[in-house]
Amino acid sequence: MTALLEARGLTKKFGGVVALDHLDLAVAPDAILGLIGPNGSGKTTFFNVVTGIYGVEAGVIAFDGTEITNAAPPRVYHAGISRTFQRSRLSLPLSIFDNIMIGNHKRLNQGLWFNLMRRGAFKREFEASYQAARSLVEVFEPRLAERLFEPVAGLPMIDRRRIEICRALISQPKLLLLDEPSAGMTHEETAALMDDILQVRALNRNLAIIIVEHEMGVIERITDHCVVLNFGRKIAEGPYRQVAADRQVQEAYLGVA
Amino acid sequence: MLPGAAALALATVYVIALLAVEKQPLVIGLLALAIVAVLGADRMGLLASVSRSFAEREDTLGALAILAAFVVAAFFHDNHFVLLLVVTVLIYAVAALGLNIQIGYAGVLNFAGASFFGIGAYTAAVLNAHTAVPHLLVLPTGGLIAALIGSLLLLPVLRTRGHYAAVVTIAFALLFKTFLEVNDVLGGPQGLHVQGMNIFGWSLNDNMAVGDIDLSFYLGYFVVSMAMLVGAFVLVRRLVRSWIGLNLDAMRLDETAAGCFGLDVARWKIIAFTLGNFLIGFAGALFGMVGGFVAPNNYTFADSLLLVSILLLGGIGNPWGLAVATFIVVVVPEKLQTIQEYRFLLYALLVIAVLLFRPEGLLPRPMRRYVAGWRP
Amino acid sequence: MDPGLLAQYVMNGLMLGMMYALVAVGFTLFFGVLDVIQFSHGDVLTVGAFVALATYIGLRSAGISSSPILLLAMLVVAIGAIATLGLLIARYLVLPLRAAPALNTLLITLTLGTVLRESVRLFYPQGADPKSFPALLPTSSINLGQFNLRLDNVIMLAAGAAVIVGLQLLLNRTKLGLAIRAVAQDEETARTMGINFTAIVLFTFALGSALAAFAGIMNGLYYNEINFGTGLLLGVIGFSAAIVGGLGSIYGAILGGFLFAGLQTIGAVALPFAGAYKDVFAFAVVIALMAWRPTGLIREKISERV
Repeated sequence: MTALLEARGLTKKFGGVVALDHLDLAVAPDAILGLIGPNGSGKTTFFNVVTGIYGVEAGVIAFDGTEITNAAPPRVYHAGISRTFQRSRLSLPLSIFDNIMIGNHKRLNQGLWFNLMRRGAFKREFEASYQAARSLVEVFEPRLAERLFEPVAGLPMIDRRRIEICRALISQPKLLLLDEPSAGMTHEETAALMDDILQVRALNRNLAIIIVEHEMGVIERITDHCVVLNFGRKIAEGPYRQVAADRQVQEAYLGVA
Repeated sequence: MLPGAAALALATVYVIALLAVEKQPLVIGLLALAIVAVLGADRMGLLASVSRSFAEREDTLGALAILAAFVVAAFFHDNHFVLLLVVTVLIYAVAALGLNIQIGYAGVLNFAGASFFGIGAYTAAVLNAHTAVPHLLVLPTGGLIAALIGSLLLLPVLRTRGHYAAVVTIAFALLFKTFLEVNDVLGGPQGLHVQGMNIFGWSLNDNMAVGDIDLSFYLGYFVVSMAMLVGAFVLVRRLVRSWIGLNLDAMRLDETAAGCFGLDVARWKIIAFTLGNFLIGFAGALFGMVGGFVAPNNYTFADSLLLVSILLLGGIGNPWGLAVATFIVVVVPEKLQTIQEYRFLLYALLVIAVLLFRPEGLLPRPMRRYVAGWRP
Repeated sequence: MDPGLLAQYVMNGLMLGMMYALVAVGFTLFFGVLDVIQFSHGDVLTVGAFVALATYIGLRSAGISSSPILLLAMLVVAIGAIATLGLLIARYLVLPLRAAPALNTLLITLTLGTVLRESVRLFYPQGADPKSFPALLPTSSINLGQFNLRLDNVIMLAAGAAVIVGLQLLLNRTKLGLAIRAVAQDEETARTMGINFTAIVLFTFALGSALAAFAGIMNGLYYNEINFGTGLLLGVIGFSAAIVGGLGSIYGAILGGFLFAGLQTIGAVALPFAGAYKDVFAFAVVIALMAWRPTGLIREKISERV
């Protein structure tokens, strides 16, 4: 099966620090890949490199047949990659609906004439978008579906995380990058969140996910495949059980016995 | 709708009173009354309900506001001084709306607002004197020239950190004034005369009369500037209540995230900056024709900061708040002649107070409503 | 070109560079420790110059006429007053707004600049007019062929250089300087190491402002004139110099200051008839440099965490 996302030989340096070291990584079109490793091993840097926030010194990234190495973030988004961020990056003064629509950029008509002059057509697109946002939010938290025009600032952290995921999913991406989605949540909340994500994925068979997580229970439950990083290098790959038992992985997390 | 309509009616009566009185103690008394009344209304939650009323019935209340403005103009139909003041408020409000697109929505700092305003006025001076361009067309031309010259500043303005745009626009503001003073091509420090507006043969600089009633020639300018303000207001409102408004907000609040969701940040900054300058130049051209002359000393860096203070006082991003703030900033120093000289200092102090204690401004920005009156 | 004239241009350039550098260093210090742009820095300079002038006038009318004493008094009073002003600005306007969006701090300092500028214009007797500043340094000169090397210029250059060297020593050789650099690097770590963050910030603002006062007096002594708008001009150019040199880098600020002075001097040499356009040229250079190299010749420290 041809990979949806394939990274070969990725190297990223920050001054003297090597954050990614000749990394090879591949994701199949509807796989759920767990990306794990100790703090500072390069997981978020990998996401930042794929989404174009950072450029690379060496290596190639191919997505869905096209090369996207060093592409600017908007181009990566339009190709079909969406993400969440490690620290929540929602626009707090804006409403829930606004925040989700930010993620819907490519499916909305951005023309000046359309937005300023064709108000009838705009209204129809707005109403359709509202329904889409509402259906998506209903999956994660039905109570929020009634409150789409309230400011995000008033929501508790867990709801904000959910909205952030809705923002990433609304454009129906082919690849979703989740960066520590469960941070700050209880086990139950995390389990519920994962169920919801899987539910959305069931409706959208072509969604591949790369999830960075520290909670191994989540990784074990939902991923089919894992990649373990340490110091920017891949040190193990395979199903969770297999990598968890890998000696090198254990040393990376816990230190040499 | 009632709170909004009541507020409008009260405001109209107050404005007429304030514009009519001349004796300084009366003016001070009226101003003090306004401050007390507004603070009291805020305490009692009335301001919030007025805000909601405007948000929900904006179209109707907007029409009523236009009517109120005409009532004020009719009341002072032969008073040149007051009408000129009103026209100035209307024109400045358009410039403030343009500046608001840049600073308030897109987050692009522009400390040379008065310079672009001046560019519009100089364009009017030159075109009216040396060409046969119809005066109504001179207005958008003024806007165009302002936008074009603004594009020279685009490269540094596009950089991420706000202070780059700040320095460049400050430098431009200083350059603009100094250049015009040193250079005699555009009249030097004395400036240029601007021919009054002439629409299809109707010269706006001539006084009119309807039967026995004398009408100040400024009424003609009132109608034109009212039309301009309403047009700008509608444009800005539609802009805000659209995906474009959303893009601008997203860009202002978190550029990196916005880029990750497809926003071409550079493109939208350019659009916002250019559109804003166009509006400012447009207003400036009309201002030049109303005043009859243009000189570098009226378009200094301090004047640019005054425009920015209108934004801060009115609440960045709120067009209604902007209108109120423009009125305050333009009218109060004219009525309180004693503080005219001190107006830059006083407004600066007021802005500092606002930034320290009430950074959202007089009227904070409400949640975006894409379609007026729409409910889920 | 006549070597005497060339030497004069060089001297002008050096003096100008010194003043820009002193202002630029202030901007960079403030940005370093607090990540803020203190937009009123230039106008603080103006206040310093006027305070010095007022001191001079006051002492002269009290009968003191000895130049060294007058100059010393002016320096002490102005530097003391402006250092205090800088401290107050930090304490009451900048630190309280740390949690607010960066835009607010920018606006508040910019507005404060207007307050300072307008206050001088309105409240200093005939503040709107340029004021003559006394020549208090020895005016003798050494004749070097076609060029008169003025002693007062030499003294000022030497003093300026001494101040900059002193600043470098302070920052790099003292515990206080170490604390400042620590805070500039990473506030949280500095705090955990026991450094009194607020005290360091206040001191840095006082220090930067004191430098501005010194530059203001230098400006007055060199041109024998000050006016209420001087600071704004110097502030804009000084800030641009700091940006071009890379905000946060002292060397960069100094480099940027002299670079700007150099460009202005070249402009003056190349277009000698365009004396009135001197300021216009300076601003155009600012805009051009910002367009070309806004992140500076030395990279600005970027602190966004993605």
